[in-house]
Amino acid sequence: MASNSSTVARPAAFRGVGRSILLTLPIALWSLLMFTPTLQHPGRDRIIGGIAVIVFMTALFFLMMRTGETYRWRRIFFVALGFLFPIGFIASLVAERGTMSIPISRMVSGDTPFCFMVTPSIILPAAFARTIIFPGAIMSTATNPRSIAIMIGLWFAFTLVLGKAWCSYACFFGGIEEGFAALPKRRRLHKFVTKYGSVLRLIPWAILVFVVLVSAAILEPVYCMWLCPFKAVTEFPAVRNVETAIQFGVFIALFVGLVVVLPLLTKKRTQCGFFCPFGAFQSLFNKINLFEIRFDRAKCVDCTLCQTSCPTVALSKESIREGKTLLNCMKCGACVDSCKKDAAVWHLKGTPVAVKPERARLLFLYGAWGLATMFGGTILAGSLAAIIGFLPWK
Amino acid sequence: MRTRILSILAYTGAGFMLLIAASVPFVLIGAFSGVVAHAGLHIDPMYSGGKIARTVQREGYRIVVYQPVQPQMLERLEPFVQIVFEPADRLPAHVSDEIDLDGDGRPDVRVSFTVPRDANAKLRGDVTALNGKFVSLTHVSDESFSRMVVRAGNEIVVRVPINKEVAGR
Repeated sequence: MASNSSTVARPAAFRGVGRSILLTLPIALWSLLMFTPTLQHPGRDRIIGGIAVIVFMTALFFLMMRTGETYRWRRIFFVALGFLFPIGFIASLVAERGTMSIPISRMVSGDTPFCFMVTPSIILPAAFARTIIFPGAIMSTATNPRSIAIMIGLWFAFTLVLGKAWCSYACFFGGIEEGFAALPKRRRLHKFVTKYGSVLRLIPWAILVFVVLVSAAILEPVYCMWLCPFKAVTEFPAVRNVETAIQFGVFIALFVGLVVVLPLLTKKRTQCGFFCPFGAFQSLFNKINLFEIRFDRAKCVDCTLCQTSCPTVALSKESIREGKTLLNCMKCGACVDSCKKDAAVWHLKGTPVAVKPERARLLFLYGAWGLATMFGGTILAGSLAAIIGFLPWK
Repeated sequence: MRTRILSILAYTGAGFMLLIAASVPFVLIGAFSGVVAHAGLHIDPMYSGGKIARTVQREGYRIVVYQPVQPQMLERLEPFVQIVFEPADRLPAHVSDEIDLDGDGRPDVRVSFTVPRDANAKLRGDVTALNGKFVSLTHVSDESFSRMVVRAGNEIVVRVPINKEVAGR
């Protein structure tokens, strides 16, 4: 995996081992707390998965503390989440129903797990008609534990803490393209992305407006039914006629184009940056979130390394000049880690810029990593257990 | 002074965010999902089949007849009535029932299907309209949300399209 570490000049906050261990201790304890039920589970596969995730998440946080870098260690977790989630999810689908496709019978019985990506689409019908336009269950059932109430509750709680950082610490889809974006050494189409970035980053907003309005008009989750690239690696409506065959084709084309090919060419998260309506929706919560990335103009030399390193084109020359990121910043830390002048800094709104940025980073990371451990870590543990279950020598 | 007050507020807010993060798995998910659960929301009738109109008891099983579902807004949906046969594991090998769908005391459709022994096997059935209010279906399985005879868990779900001309009157 090619790394952005080649652009890292020097860690902003390199620490000694002892201090790093001390700072990691809360996350280690939190991980243990989160996985205590798993460790008490009688299944050996799940226990192994749980232990592996505790060690994994704690070790990555230790490395964040030790090196002062955020992006590269977060990316390891995030890519693991992105690639292991589909494995665990597909394994559970195949074990349960023998196929990745959702037959119509499961939709009418409310057995479709709720996906947070559909959240913006359901708001208008829910607000005005009290109707949820998704074939799930409001409350958890034995056959569908991922009910709408639970998933919306989870999303809202996360959003309060993370804002748009959901997209770099919780979204189990973003890791797939981040993984592909990390593979090539060379960045292609860089000039194109830079030149048309201002237009490209508006596309998710346009798709968001389209999806919300059309979903409310036809009372169907349009994004799920027609536009979600990740249907290709999770579940999709069973192909039973020409319409569902076209839908399936669209899912595959979008996945290959936006999640595999374009990230490989651009080293950007193209689906997240230029397509995802949920990401655009989530950007709105950056307005109320306390944490952000700012630029110390006294140190900045306008080298645009930060702009180049940003995976979702959340920086422009104008925004850097103003000392800010754009609204769609997902606080992954790539710009901070790539800045050779320590001009890009973590910031707590209300405090002076570039004063104690490491304190702001720590406060943000405790919340973000804690939730990542709880949510993503649980997914990772489940997927690892599924993989161990499939091992031939087991 | 203003900077100092703002900083104090900011750090207090950040501490509060950490508290929120720590309480997510123990309190907040439950609290927020409780709010969603008690918001009086319902699943769109296209998926849920709508509200139950009445239940007909048969020997060993029952037939649940739902209220007609009409498309709302620009919904791409043929109007239909859902009928559920439950429990599927108590049904006779072959079912052929005449059912009153509109509650006027006279049967509107005859639904017939053979229950496969394998619960995962594809189910097909026939619906014969006994008057002009409904549309007949032949050898149907999961054609659309308005035309189906499918097994969903321990239920057989049948959806019968309503004749558009009659529905439109």
